Amino acid sequence: MTVNTLESVEGFHDKWPFAPHYVRVNGWRMHYVDEGAGDPVLLLHGNPTWGFLYRDVIPPLVKSGRRVLVPDMIGFGLSEKPAREQAHSLDGHIANLTGLVRQLDLQRLTVVCHDWGGPTGLGFAMSNPERVRALAVMSTWAWPTPPAEFHTRLFPWRTMHAPLVGPYLLGRHNVLARRGVYLSVVGRDKFRREAQPVYEAALPDAETRLLTWVWPRWIPLDDTARAQARFAWLEAELAKSRLPTLIIWGREDEVFDAATFAERFKRLLPHADGPHMVTGRHFLQEDSGPEIAGLIATFLDRLDRRGSA
Amino acid sequence: MADVTVIARPATEGTRQALVLTEDRIGHYPEFRAFFVRTFDLDRVGLSEAGFVRAPSGMAYALVFVGRSGEPFPSGVEVYAIVDALEPLDDAVVDKDLWAILGWMIGGVGAPWSVEDLQATGRLYRIPAAG
Repeated sequence: MTVNTLESVEGFHDKWPFAPHYVRVNGWRMHYVDEGAGDPVLLLHGNPTWGFLYRDVIPPLVKSGRRVLVPDMIGFGLSEKPAREQAHSLDGHIANLTGLVRQLDLQRLTVVCHDWGGPTGLGFAMSNPERVRALAVMSTWAWPTPPAEFHTRLFPWRTMHAPLVGPYLLGRHNVLARRGVYLSVVGRDKFRREAQPVYEAALPDAETRLLTWVWPRWIPLDDTARAQARFAWLEAELAKSRLPTLIIWGREDEVFDAATFAERFKRLLPHADGPHMVTGRHFLQEDSGPEIAGLIATFLDRLDRRGSA
Repeated sequence: MADVTVIARPATEGTRQALVLTEDRIGHYPEFRAFFVRTFDLDRVGLSEAGFVRAPSGMAYALVFVGRSGEPFPSGVEVYAIVDALEPLDDAVVDKDLWAILGWMIGGVGAPWSVEDLQATGRLYRIPAAG
């Protein structure tokens, strides 16, 4: 169904020329892109995007001599979209990613995380450190307190995903893909022209949009939150981690603002490279894809040189 | 926002119930569950009867509450428009009615939730029913 709706977007294949691959993880069909050769780099998206977010990051990274893998989270993009809220959990999504990596037997992996790709990707990395060579984080978080003051507000955040309101606004009206992403990029005209129709087409019907209101409900707002213990574990594990890490942030990011979030990652991982600031709000890949690819490639080149020295 | 009223079970001969909105986690914010329990006397009624409301269009809606083992009741709710059995839905009408039902719910849940925040959220995301 999603493939059909994407086919109807003019110029889709020019923007997304990558061959589809599928695996089955935890019983769900997961789509991923697998391009190039070399040490693998895993690019992880969040809510409400899919691998398409990385369309300008993939080619330069492949050209730099890396194998680039871009999975669509179960519930987004070309992956299967479960129809029940109870199908989703943070642990389940970490396990989905682990299933993909183990089936492909990926080693020396660089895990690049954005939005919910952060808690899932970092959760995978901390539970499978022997497969991971490096981390990169962008506009995400990894600790149990509310990620941002924005997430505690009734207007618009908590109202948007409140019971019945979430299924109405995000389900019937697809407001996150239709309006939310648009409000969180810098180059809005370009985004509206080139990318918005694709994000909308990837979530064509109300029931395919389930995860867009389920993920907001997994953000811990207090000690009783479902994911509280997992985030506490994640923060503790990261604080012990010595994995080489790259921090990239959007200068104009108003939700996960750099002064709070990039700096907190830097305190958590003091050995990290960065933060490197690029043009971008929360969906910084839309504004600075090639620059982000360049930062990742340079960071990995440096690790390669260090490794061969 | 126009009024939504709780009504007794309407006559259903010649009608069908068309599913228009589903919520799997009505207790995500527990005060929402409490509102429905209070409004439809669910501690007494349980699963024996749906709740019914009349929306601004004049159409009746059934609120079918869903139970889940190990969780307070109700855990979810399904909203059905009660329509002529063989006629398609008027989606624009249903959309406006649902928006009014959401406003009725938020107003009933009460502070700190507010209809004003709901309206502002609807306008931010350009929901037609929010004006």
